[in-house]
Amino acid sequence: MDFGIEDELHLLVETAALFGAQQLAGQERMHEQQRSIGNALHRAYAEIGLADLETPESLDGAALGSLAKCIVNEELAACDVGAAIALDRLGPTLYPALEFEGAAAVARLQALCDGPAPRRAILIHEEIDRDPGKPISLWVDWVPADEIAGVMLLGPTRACLVTEGIETRPLHASGLRASGGCSLHLASATAAEQWTGPDAASRAHARARLWVASMMLGVLRATCEFSRLYAGQREAFGKPIAHHQGLAFLIVEMNMALEAARLLVHEAAWRLDQGEDATLESASALVECIEAARWVGPSGVQILGGHGFMADYPVEKHMRELRTLGLMGGGLDAALETAGRQLETGVPPLNITTPVGERK
Amino acid sequence: MDFSIHPETQEAVEAVRDWGHEAMRPAGLEADRLGSPLPVDHPYFQRSLERGDGRTSWCPGESSPVRRGAAVHAMWLAEEGAYWDRGVMVANPGPGLPEASVLARGTEEQKEKYLGPFVDPDRPRWACFAMTEPSAGSDAAAIQTTAQKDGDAWVLNGAKCFIGGASRSDWLLVQATLDIRQGRNAQRSFFVEQGTPGLGNFKIEKKMGLKAYESTSFTLQSCRIPLENLLGGESQPKSQAGFKTAMQTFNAGRPIIGAMAVGMGRAALDESLHFAKETGLIKRERIRDRIECMSRKLRSARLICLRACWLVDQKRPNVMEASMAKALGAQVSQQAAGLGLEILGQVAGTGDHLIEKLYRDTKAMDIVEGTGQIQRVIMARQLVGLPR
Repeated sequence: MDFGIEDELHLLVETAALFGAQQLAGQERMHEQQRSIGNALHRAYAEIGLADLETPESLDGAALGSLAKCIVNEELAACDVGAAIALDRLGPTLYPALEFEGAAAVARLQALCDGPAPRRAILIHEEIDRDPGKPISLWVDWVPADEIAGVMLLGPTRACLVTEGIETRPLHASGLRASGGCSLHLASATAAEQWTGPDAASRAHARARLWVASMMLGVLRATCEFSRLYAGQREAFGKPIAHHQGLAFLIVEMNMALEAARLLVHEAAWRLDQGEDATLESASALVECIEAARWVGPSGVQILGGHGFMADYPVEKHMRELRTLGLMGGGLDAALETAGRQLETGVPPLNITTPVGERK
Repeated sequence: MDFSIHPETQEAVEAVRDWGHEAMRPAGLEADRLGSPLPVDHPYFQRSLERGDGRTSWCPGESSPVRRGAAVHAMWLAEEGAYWDRGVMVANPGPGLPEASVLARGTEEQKEKYLGPFVDPDRPRWACFAMTEPSAGSDAAAIQTTAQKDGDAWVLNGAKCFIGGASRSDWLLVQATLDIRQGRNAQRSFFVEQGTPGLGNFKIEKKMGLKAYESTSFTLQSCRIPLENLLGGESQPKSQAGFKTAMQTFNAGRPIIGAMAVGMGRAALDESLHFAKETGLIKRERIRDRIECMSRKLRSARLICLRACWLVDQKRPNVMEASMAKALGAQVSQQAAGLGLEILGQVAGTGDHLIEKLYRDTKAMDIVEGTGQIQRVIMARQLVGLPR
């Protein structure tokens, strides 16, 4: 048991934190207004190696695992989650490509998104028809992107990539506007690629859920920290509002929720990196983040009172973006369904008398 | 990071599981039905001694304390033991709660005298730590029991309550103050041997749960003990004396209490899950989602306990994490037991099902070693500088 971060990972965290502080922090309102982050930021992100953390070594990537990605995601999202999503062009579409096929599929996906202007691939957790030749028609009311090069559909056992027949309509989304926002329509589109395999699908879902969960951790952390510091400075009735026990306890509860969610995410990511089946753990980690987001976001606004409601402070943005993040990765109900099914069939969920290496 | 369990710990946990299944849970249920602690001569204690329990981790001749296991190791064992029966776990013979203080601050002579009998005990032996008083629970700095030097002795006066195993202990490590006006800085710990004149009026309390071990009140009335019974001796620096020693015991102990609570919550979860599978209730999403929630909350509480213990092993501060572990573990274990009652429904209402006992037992976990509210006060001091 070791909760420490290895030297290599520690360096990565510091790099991500520095990038976030220098390039993202303070720019979030501008990014939100512009609905994009600009090419220079994409280049800076790629130059320090953050763009290829999980890319296979054969594609000049770092081939790091889910835990590293989760830790970096948290650092970036704590500064500007919309930008963090925009920077990750492949985003969680990487996982079906990696898990079903590997480096070759990732390379094709990268080529698809390459170009002078930022283009993204979008992952939709959706059941896919068993007939591979059947045209795909689908409406998605909101995705956090503008220029979409490909849509990856991931079902319980299969995945497919659609690259043509993608229609989008820009919209003023509730949150994550820095990464764009549109409604998406696949009108009798044909799958460019298809894969089948329940184990690969399960791992891809798990990694995608942790990708979302770790973004949420960053925003949870930002709202906890901002409201804590504010409460220490703002005075009411002759003392800092943080020294009124009603608020002190609320701040404690918010920080406990963050810590609980973070440990669940880290454990699930570590298990995935060990090659274990972490279907239950990953789904539960996302559920925990979404549940925490439901009240931590609004509590951040509440602590700031009237100021919290105004766009002059970041907590109203945190609140909106936590809610919209919770709609990604298949959302709460799909994660609950996954976790619930595991409980129906698996070993008792907290069993410790079966060695970790033998867990199935 | 590494979330795996060390093979040695795994082996030890498996041994606790076997012992818990065979002996601890039956003994706990027996005490619960009896409504009183397991008697000193109960066969369980002799068997416990024979399997190697009830011993000190102190090694005679060693210059520094040698701990059998790290805090993380102890945490896993605490969770597994409490899974089977937390009351029996606490009732187990051994040097118990004061051992850590004696190891950390005791003189070599004190270790030899007080821990020596626990190296290879001839019979089940107990020791206890007496801090809580009728008017000083979570606020340990407010204790009223006094210690005054009188010639070649310390004279102790006061009353203690809810002390685990006090009437059966060979010795009691009693927390007392040299000067009430000086608050925590004047607190010291004293060895009081059983049978010392002035130590008496033992009253074993009737409790709602955790009945296997005794929670005892007693008084100290002009109780004279030798000068050398001051923990650490008179020559130890003031900065290492008394209150700080006691608080270090609690800082190391809080995540362990949290882990015990998680173990009890896990027992409740397993009962709920087993019942839901047997009856087909698990197919109902409303039930399944609630079980998933409990499973998730217990998992996160366990991880927080582990992290707090890992910090102990790293010799890093863990005040915040220890309080979080204690607060969260206790909270979710009660929720798990409460959920179990609801899932089992009328079955739980019969009063002789394990889940009903767990519902009563888990309540104590939010009270012992600082209530959940006090843990939040401690965390608030760390996070926002909440004034004392």
